[in-house]
Amino acid sequence: MITRLEQIIDVLKSNEKKRLVAAYANDAHTIEAVNNAVEKGIVDATLVGDKETIKKTCAEHNIDVTKFTVVHEPVEIKAAQKAVELIRNGEGDMIMKGLVSTDKYMKAILNKETGLMPPKAVLSHVTVMENPNYHKLLVCSDVAVIPQPDLNQKVALTNYVINVARALGIDTPKVALVAASEQVLPKMEACVDATIISKMADRGQIKNAYVDGPLAIDVAIDKESVEIKKLESKVAGDADCLVFPNIESGNVFYKTNTKLAKAELGAFVVGAKCPAILSSRGDSVLTKLYSIALAALVASK
Amino acid sequence: MSPIRSLDQMVDHLRESGKKKKIAVAYAQDPNTIGAIAKAINEGFVEAVMIGDEKEIRSKAEAEGINPEIFTIVHIPNDVEATTEAVRMAREDEADVVMKGLVGTDKFLKAVLNKEKGLLPPKAVMSYVCALDLPKYDKLLFVSDTAVLPYPDLNQKVAMVNYSVKMAKRFGIEKPKVALISATEKPNPAFQGSVDDSIICKMADRGQIKDCIVDGPLDVFLACDPASVEIKGIPTPINGEADCLIFPSLEACNSFYKGLMLFGGGELGGLIQGTTKPVVVMSRSESEKSKFYCIALSVLMAD
Repeated sequence: MITRLEQIIDVLKSNEKKRLVAAYANDAHTIEAVNNAVEKGIVDATLVGDKETIKKTCAEHNIDVTKFTVVHEPVEIKAAQKAVELIRNGEGDMIMKGLVSTDKYMKAILNKETGLMPPKAVLSHVTVMENPNYHKLLVCSDVAVIPQPDLNQKVALTNYVINVARALGIDTPKVALVAASEQVLPKMEACVDATIISKMADRGQIKNAYVDGPLAIDVAIDKESVEIKKLESKVAGDADCLVFPNIESGNVFYKTNTKLAKAELGAFVVGAKCPAILSSRGDSVLTKLYSIALAALVASK
Repeated sequence: MSPIRSLDQMVDHLRESGKKKKIAVAYAQDPNTIGAIAKAINEGFVEAVMIGDEKEIRSKAEAEGINPEIFTIVHIPNDVEATTEAVRMAREDEADVVMKGLVGTDKFLKAVLNKEKGLLPPKAVMSYVCALDLPKYDKLLFVSDTAVLPYPDLNQKVAMVNYSVKMAKRFGIEKPKVALISATEKPNPAFQGSVDDSIICKMADRGQIKDCIVDGPLDVFLACDPASVEIKGIPTPINGEADCLIFPSLEACNSFYKGLMLFGGGELGGLIQGTTKPVVVMSRSESEKSKFYCIALSVLMAD
C-alpha cells in the first residue's frame, strides 16, 4: 500500500512505462514537467506542437529533445485534437494539457464524435493529497470540476476515488462522504445523498469499498474525534478517500491543506477513456510530477 | 421478562401480572364490544366504564348472557357526547384507555384529536401499529401503518419506527429488529420510500434512533425469511428475523396484513399510536378474538 506520493515513482520505475501525450507542448513549463517525469523513468512522452518551437525551447533549457517523440502541429486547437487522436489510435495512455487553453483542451476531450468520453460518463477530478499530519494518502473528489454534484454524480465520484485508492494498493478503501455533520439532518442534501450512497455500498451497488456518510471532516480523519463522539463507523478516523458534497468544500479543503498544512498533491481529470492531466503554471514542480505519476499509475495500457 | 411470542402468551402474561386498567368505552351499546370487554373483565385485567344508553347497554349485555353489573354504566344516550366524556375521563386520568363503541370512527377520532380536549399532543404523529400472530412465523410481527397514515413522509416514518419499537419492547423484546419494507433492497431514487429508508438506517447508526436494529430498504423475504437472506447473499442485521415491519404506504401495509389473514390465517391486535393514553379503534370486520386482543394490548401498553 502506497502511503507517500514519492513511493509512486518507485512503483512506476519497476513497471512497464505508460505513454504520455502532451497537447501543444511548446512552452518551458510543460516540457520541463514532462522531461522531469521522463528523466525519472516513469513515462515515455510524445509532445504535440510546433516542432521548431519545441526544439528551440528544449535547447534553451538544456533538454535533450530526442528523448521525446515530437508530432508537428503548429495550430493550438489542432494540437489538442491531434493529442486526443493519438490516444484514440492507441498511441498514448494518458493526455496532458500544454500551452493550449483549458477550454480548447477540454473541448477536444469532450467532443462527442472525436473525443475521449465514453457515453454517459461523468467528467470529474481526483486529487491525491499527502499531509504530514495524516498517516496515509487522502484521495479526494471533486475539488475542481463539478460545482454541485447530484446523487448520480456523487456515486461516480465515489467509484473514481475507490479506483484510484485501489491503484495505490488499498484493497478495500474507506470512503468518507463529507458533510457538515455526521448526524443525519434530513433537510441537508449532503446528508441525504450520503445516506443513500452508504446504503448502496451496503447492498453491493458500489463495490470494493467501505463507504460511510455523512461524516464531518473531523470524524472522517481524526481518530480522537471519533472516540470523543463515540461514533461507530468502519470509515471514521481512518478515511482513505473523501467525497465532497460540492466544489467549494473540496476546493477550500485542498487549498487550505497545501497552503496552511504544507500538504503535497497530485491530481488529474477522470471520467475520460484515459487520465487527463490539467496542471496549472501555479503548480509546484513536485505537484506536476506527482500528477503525471498518478495518471501513469491509474492509466490502463 | 422473556419475550412474549404470541398473543395468547400476552394474555397469560397480563393475567399473571395482576395488572388491571380502567377502560372508558365510548357509546358502548355494541354487542361485539360488550362481549370482548366482558371477556377481558373475566380474565381480570380490565375494569370498564360503559358510556352510552344505559337501557341499551343492559339489554344487549343480557342478550349475550352477560351480567351488566360487571360494568360501571354511565348514561349518556348521544354518541358524540358519550365519546367526549370517554375522552375527558382519559385526559383527566379517570380512565387508562379509551375504546370506540358504536360511534362512527370519524366522530370518535374527532374527539380524540380535539386540540383542546383531545388525547394527541401538538406535533405528535398519529399512527397505528398492529401485532400479528402468524402460524408460519415463530414470533409476533409488529407492522405499521395499517390504518392511519396514507403516505408517511420521513418524519412520520421515524415516528412509526419508534412506536413499533416501543410496543415490541413492552413484549419483552430488548432490541427489536426493524425492517423498512420496500419492493427491493437496493436504494433507488425513483422510490422515495427507499431513500427515506436509507436515511432512517443512517440515523440509527448515529444514535438518532435508539434501542433497535434497523435495516432497509428490504423486501419482505429478506425481512422475514432467513433462507432468502442466504440465497441472495445480502448481509443484513435483520437476517430474516424481523420483529417490526415498517411499510412505505398504508395501501401496502393494509394489503399485507389483510392478505395474510385471508390466505394464511392468524390473529391480530392493534392500537392507535401517538396518543397520551392507549386508544382502541376496531372495525366490525374484526373477529371476536381480535377485539379481545386489542383490549388486552391496550392494557399491556397502558402505563
